[in-house]
Parts: sequence; C-alpha cells; structure tokens
Amino acid sequence: METQSLVTIIPWTFIAQILNLFIQLYLIKRFLFKPINEVLEKRRQLADKEIREAREAQEKADSLKQQYENNLSSAHAEAAQIVSEAQKEAETKAEEMLRQAENTATSIKAKAEADIAQERKKAINAAKDEIGGLAMDIASKVVEKEIREEDHRKLIDEFIDKVGEAS
Amino acid sequence: MNLEVNGARIFARIHTGIPVLGDFLISETLVVSWLVMLIITGLCIFLTKNLKVENISKRQAIAEMLVEAANNLVRNNTGGNKFDKLIPFVSALFATSIISNLISLVGLRSPTADLSTEAAWAVVVFIMITGTKIKASGVGGYLKGFTTPIPVMTPFNILSELATPVSMACRHFGNILSGIVINGLIYESLALASAALFGMFSSFLAKIPILDVGIPAILSFYFDWFTGVMQAFIFTMLTIMYIANAAEE
Repeated sequence: METQSLVTIIPWTFIAQILNLFIQLYLIKRFLFKPINEVLEKRRQLADKEIREAREAQEKADSLKQQYENNLSSAHAEAAQIVSEAQKEAETKAEEMLRQAENTATSIKAKAEADIAQERKKAINAAKDEIGGLAMDIASKVVEKEIREEDHRKLIDEFIDKVGEAS
Repeated sequence: MNLEVNGARIFARIHTGIPVLGDFLISETLVVSWLVMLIITGLCIFLTKNLKVENISKRQAIAEMLVEAANNLVRNNTGGNKFDKLIPFVSALFATSIISNLISLVGLRSPTADLSTEAAWAVVVFIMITGTKIKASGVGGYLKGFTTPIPVMTPFNILSELATPVSMACRHFGNILSGIVINGLIYESLALASAALFGMFSSFLAKIPILDVGIPAILSFYFDWFTGVMQAFIFTMLTIMYIANAAEE
C-alpha cells in the first residue's frame, strides 16, 4: 500500500486536522463541559439555598427563644407578685379575724360579767326579802305583836344592809 | 537487520486539482483521528449520562473530576478566571493529543506520528497567541513589541516568534516518532537476539521471536505511556503559558 513520507506536511491533512480540532472542541464543550457545568452550578445554588435557609431558621429559632425567655421571666415575676399579694391578704385577714375574735371574746366576757353581777344582785335582793320576812316573823314572834311590814320596812332594810356589810 | 519506518498509509486519494493543496489523502492519520474523536465524544456522552445534582454516580464523579481538573489547570497557570473561555479548547487539545498518543498501544498508527497533525495544532495555538497579543496591546503595540529592547533585535524577535509553533509541533512529533522508531528497533533487535540465542537449540525455535514477549512491554511503558502523556501535557501547558503570557504584555 502506498504510504506518505515519514516527515511531511500534507496540506489537506493539515486543514482537516485544524477542522477536527475545532469539531472536537465543540463536541467536548457540548457533551462534557455544558452538562457538567450546569450540574455544578445547580449544586452550588442548592448549597447556597440550604445555607441561607439554615441561617434563616437559626435566626427564627433565636428570636423565638428570646421571646420564650421573656415570657418565662415575666411569668415568674407575675407568679411571685401573686404569691406575695396572697400572703399579704391572708395576713390582713388573719389579723382581722384575730381582732374580731378578741372583740367578741371581750364583749362576751363583759356580758357574762354583767349577767353575773345582775344575777348576784337578784339573788342578794331575794335573799334580802327572805331575810326581811324571816326577821319579821322572828320579831313578831318575839314581840308577839304584829309588826306592820309597811311601817318597819325601812328599819329592816337598814338592818339587812348592815348585816350585808358586816358579812 | 533491515528496519523500515514508513509514514502513514494512504487508503484513498481524492483528486482535487487545486494547485498548491494537491490531492486529498484519506490517510491512516485522518482515519485514526476520526476514531480518536469518536472515542473522546463517546466517552463524554457516556460519562455525562443521567446527571444528577445529588447522590451522584461514580461515572458522574469522574466527569466532574475531569472538568474540575481542567478548570484548575487553566486557572492555576493563568492566575485567575480571565481565561475560562480557553478551558474547553485546552481540554480538547489535551484529550485529542493524549488519546492519539496512546492509541498506538492497540496497534494503530498515532495521528500524532504525522507532522501535519501537530503543525495544525501548533498553527491554531500560534494564531491564538497572536490574537491575544493584539487584543492586549493593539496592532501597533503588537508590531512595536518586535523592536524591543532595541530595533536591531527585530529579525531575531520575528524568528523567535515563528519558532514557537515550529518548536511546539516538532517537539511533539519528534517524541512520538522516536517512540515508533525505537520500538521498531527494539522489536527487530530482540527478534534477532532470540533467533541467535534459540537457534543454537533448534531451527524451529529460531523462527519464533521469544524475547519479543514481555520485554518490549516494559520499554513501551516509557516510550508509549510516559512519552505520550508527557508530550500531551507539555503541549497543553505550553499553550496555556504562551497565551497567558501574551495577555500580560
């Protein structure tokens, strides 16, 4: 078979090889670089998006946390206030109840004392009458003479009072 | 020993009748070139099948790695993203060169063992270098660049400018051709050696080149693999460097 010489430049081969190189350039661009670069770009965008979303979520979580913390601290303060108010109220109520009880006790005591005094007076009076009647009976028996009660009442009373004072 | 190293075979000759260009030769160079292009394109299509954004396949990982490697090579050597448009060209050049060089391993004749191929690439690169220079400093600036540092240097500057594509083409071609020549020599000499060695025992064994089994494979590791990859890399690196330098002037 015919061969070309070992070291030579064949014009048409030269031209064809230039064209081949550019065809290869197009093919490699079309079938390797274009699809791969598209995928790489897509992946880059995806990664960017994910990072952005993560950052947003983080910010949101932070703000929520802040809010919860605020709520919690305000709730704590409120609870403390409520407790202290309740304590104060209970104290005042207890004091009032105590005072009321004291008042009641005092009034009951006073009334009881008054009752006792009255009863005593009554009893003394009754005793006085009894003693007066008895004295009269005794005296009339002694003097054999009826002493008119009305006439001698004053006398008897004086006597009894003296007895009372003496006793 | 009689070793003959021939140029590429010619399968068909199309008569064009154009005076300077001559006949269009469907030579081994062109046929194998088309095969190389088919291999590269097929590989690209295969690697970029079913592309996904997440949970990628091994194939896609390789394709992405290749693209990233090309991006990094150009960006690291030009220092920035200024020459990103150059990446597919550089990749095409490198891929064509390396596959052309290595296709000799399957017994085909490398398209790069024909000076026409390297000359074509070198001329394209030369035009790109010149274009970049003119773009960077204008036509006047480009022409004025030849008279630096002193006007006497002009012929030498023109020579050195023209030497760029010639040296690039001849470096690549020479390395591949020398690989072919040396491989031919090794095969022939080992056949002779085994004929002499085993001819002592029987005339039948002398006809089988036993020493040609294995030993040339080791040498081929340097002359085909190493040289092939190295020359493709050098050609590509020089292209990047020259164009990057051209833009700086």
